Amino acid sequence: MVAYYFVIPALLFFILLNAYPLITVVWDSFQLINMLNKALSGFAGLSNYVAVLQNENFQAALRHTFVWTLLSVAGEYVFGLMTALALNQNIRCRALFRGIIIIPWVVPIVIAGMTWTWMLDPNYGIINYWLVKMGIIAQPYNWLGEMNTALYTVIFVNIWRSFPFYTISLLAGLQSVSKDILEAAAIDGAGVRVRFFQVVLPQLKSISLTIIFIHLIWTAINFDFIWVMTEGGPLYATETLPIQIFRYAMQTYNFGYASALASMMLGFMMTAFLLYYFMSVRKMNR
Amino acid sequence: MLMSKQKQLFFQILTYVVLLGFSFYCLFPFLWMVVTALKPTDQIRTITPSFIVAHPTMEHFINVITQSKFLTYFRNSIFVSVVVTALSLMISIFAGYALSRFIRFRGVKLFSVAMLLSQMIPGVLLLIPLYLTMKDLGLINTYTSLILAYTTFTVPLCTFMMKGFFDSIPMDMEEAAEIDGCSRVSLIFRILLPVSLPSMIAAGMFAFLNSWNEFMFGFVFINDDEHRTLTPGIYLFKGLFQTDWGSLMASSVLSVLPVVLMFVFMQRFLVEGMTAGSVKG
Repeated sequence: MVAYYFVIPALLFFILLNAYPLITVVWDSFQLINMLNKALSGFAGLSNYVAVLQNENFQAALRHTFVWTLLSVAGEYVFGLMTALALNQNIRCRALFRGIIIIPWVVPIVIAGMTWTWMLDPNYGIINYWLVKMGIIAQPYNWLGEMNTALYTVIFVNIWRSFPFYTISLLAGLQSVSKDILEAAAIDGAGVRVRFFQVVLPQLKSISLTIIFIHLIWTAINFDFIWVMTEGGPLYATETLPIQIFRYAMQTYNFGYASALASMMLGFMMTAFLLYYFMSVRKMNR
Repeated sequence: MLMSKQKQLFFQILTYVVLLGFSFYCLFPFLWMVVTALKPTDQIRTITPSFIVAHPTMEHFINVITQSKFLTYFRNSIFVSVVVTALSLMISIFAGYALSRFIRFRGVKLFSVAMLLSQMIPGVLLLIPLYLTMKDLGLINTYTSLILAYTTFTVPLCTFMMKGFFDSIPMDMEEAAEIDGCSRVSLIFRILLPVSLPSMIAAGMFAFLNSWNEFMFGFVFINDDEHRTLTPGIYLFKGLFQTDWGSLMASSVLSVLPVVLMFVFMQRFLVEGMTAGSVKG
């Protein structure tokens, strides 16, 4: 009985601020709710969904969400793996390097976004200055202001802030790779590359899958980063689905549309989660 | 041993090159932030930016502190984060204990799944219903709205962290104490918590960092300057200071200072906590 008393506070928070709101989202998605036009209300059927899907920016936003998520996670994983491997070597000042590498992860997204915006400034930014000086580009470029680079620039900054989490998780995984197996493989004549791909990587598989899966979700739903750097602009070039939800909700006050889009994302996420869950359960049983 | 001397040297060099490269990548923005904040305006707005600060000035810092609501925001952020940290720790110590010791109960198992799922629920999807709920309860523009929202989002992770630590403590001690007539609650406080202090620090840091860094709810729930927290406040500075990058960077320096300092002193706990959480969870 005591056990149940212990979980009640956490459960209350979960029910009141997670479960109940989620149900309201789905419910609202079938209602006409517009904060600017309160007269308009009642059951909407699927009309919110239709309107959201037919919005001219929907497809672009969907595409941006995929690009944003996949490139961010891929970049973060590569950087995370590189740094984790380097930190796992026998080196001096490991704690110092580790501390430095985790630091971006500790700063608020708003500040990370603002600092990089300043460094990327087309007039006085240091990055443009360096690139021009090194002869990589002929003249300063407005990385965040041009439609074809804005999304990639935000992705780059997102990678900067998020990869340390991978570093720490993968480092923990690497430290549990047994030295004996590595030595045995070396004696059997396995080279560095073979040892890495055949011995080390397989041992990192489960932790890699977990962090990648979590980050796919966390990145896909991330709102802060894009908002503080570009607010979805220029001309919707960086608008992802969460930004679109936010715009529906807080700029046009059409809560029905926002809920419909949110419900769709939720459904997609739940499906992905269940798929992942059952796959990992099946693997464990095998 | 594992490779030839020559190869070993090559990899050693490669390792340091990678580490130094990444250190530069990670630290440079902070460095540039500080340099910009210290420069007088005419040195900031130049097409040949340099690292050398010819005449360091505190004018931007003074500007931020006297010409804006920075101190109010700062105080609000501290208050909200401290309350959230304390609240989440209280809740997750008990919940984590239940998860660790009573997982055989069906209800507790279900609760564990619920906690796991709630970590996957994105804030932006909950924004609308939470906003409406807060509005109905009259909590818009109060600290309470932020405290409730942040606590909800930090409790699951803290719970799992605490569970992980409790798992590693053998039951023997508790059983002995129980025979001596110690109640569950005093058992947690008297026996488990003193042993798991480092883990509590880690979980607490997580909660603090999360609420210090959160942006969206603070941006939406709070519309008046008196209750605004730091992250939305700084975001709005962009409109207030326009292209006065010196002041913007000065405010950034001032607001990362607490988290970076905390991080420097307690890095060890955070890394251990993350490691324990990620390997087991």
